[in-house]
Amino acid sequence: MRIILTIAVLMAMAGSAQAQLIEKTALTLEGAKKIAAVAETKARAEGARVVIAVVDEGGSLLLLERLDDTQVASVNVGIDKARTAAIYRRPSKVFEDQVKNGRVSALALNGAVALQGGVPIVVEGKVIGAIGISGETPGQDEDIAIAGAAVAASFTK
Amino acid sequence: MRNVAAIAAGVVIALLASTGYAESVSDKRGLTLEGAKRVLAATVAEAKRVNAPGGSIAVVDDGGNLLALERLDQTFAASANISIGKARTAALFKKPTKLFEDAIKGGRTPMIALSGDLQNFTPLQGGIPLEWEGKVVGAIGVSGAASAQQDEELAIVGAKLLDNMALAGMTNGHVSLPVTYIESQKVAASFTKGAVLVGEDENMMHAARNYMVHASHRDKPGVVEVHELDTDIVYVLKGSAQLITGGTPVGTKTIAPHEFRAPTVNGGETRNLVPGDVVIIPNGVPHWFKEVEAPFDYYVVKVR
Repeated sequence: MRIILTIAVLMAMAGSAQAQLIEKTALTLEGAKKIAAVAETKARAEGARVVIAVVDEGGSLLLLERLDDTQVASVNVGIDKARTAAIYRRPSKVFEDQVKNGRVSALALNGAVALQGGVPIVVEGKVIGAIGISGETPGQDEDIAIAGAAVAASFTK
Repeated sequence: MRNVAAIAAGVVIALLASTGYAESVSDKRGLTLEGAKRVLAATVAEAKRVNAPGGSIAVVDDGGNLLALERLDQTFAASANISIGKARTAALFKKPTKLFEDAIKGGRTPMIALSGDLQNFTPLQGGIPLEWEGKVVGAIGVSGAASAQQDEELAIVGAKLLDNMALAGMTNGHVSLPVTYIESQKVAASFTKGAVLVGEDENMMHAARNYMVHASHRDKPGVVEVHELDTDIVYVLKGSAQLITGGTPVGTKTIAPHEFRAPTVNGGETRNLVPGDVVIIPNGVPHWFKEVEAPFDYYVVKVR
């Protein structure tokens, strides 16, 4: 009896293996390049000297470009903004606004920078990564990030 | 007295200001994003050529600051930072990072303490300085390939690209290759048996060239071919053939990296080719010269 029960439990577990996994959409290097290319084109058209960072869903760097003559500190700031947008699944501007509006404790969020310019990359309603821009004014950084992230709308099945 | 002091100060300032440019600052070359991208492209092409399981490739400037990075699909996430660290270490010390790995391995353990002062000090094989006319202008770091050895081999290929550009005297990031001239007699001779006119070589490996040229000749039908990387642009010169394109190859075998062959195909489109016809077969599309009226000669440009 006990053996049969064990087998039944094992079979039930095996049968539900699929229920233990979910389908995820992952950003490829090719996809990251398309996003960066649009951001780079916009930056060049505006004469903006920026770092373009694209991270995956987990906030790890997939691609980075530093346009000529961009301040070097923007490398890390750009990555930080992208990671913030990816792991919190919202534009990093949300946190900058919170701090500005008095919620200073948002500065203590783990792994986040409360700086405008990080925007999630969304495919079919899911955040699959993010783009972070750093180097110019906060508004210009974010506009470039938004233009890049918008490319993901074309990543449909 | 105060006036005298002010005048003296003025004279000193004037003297300092008139000090020559050459004594106070020096000219140096900086790697551009375009240059960094070319180094990346050459390294990625080499990674694909040797079937590396993955790779993160970072290019930094002479200050060790990141210029460009690419992480190939499926490469573990931590490799991104490790590649930056290797590149940074190679740039700041103007040395391949293997030297540090070897020194530490050889017992010079205190060297690990450098990581206290140097952000992201990474004494691991796979970082190589990038040089332009004998001066270090940056570095490349690779992580996430099959082994530390392969990381370094890929980095060396990337670094070599810049050397080749320097040798070619290129300053705008474009590699200039010599003009290729193949005289008619040699071309005609090549067609009698089929031959490669311009093949895969160093230039292709270093992403300086993205095409090959074949003088192709068939006496009998071929097998189903799939080129994962190369697009075939075919111009028929002699004879005729039935060409099947598309469909699903059956019994596919890998004969070389990115090259697949199969004895037959299910489905696909059929065309009869005659002299003067041009066919462009994009990479990844199965194609098969199923029936051939010999001799069938065709000129192929393979674009990668």
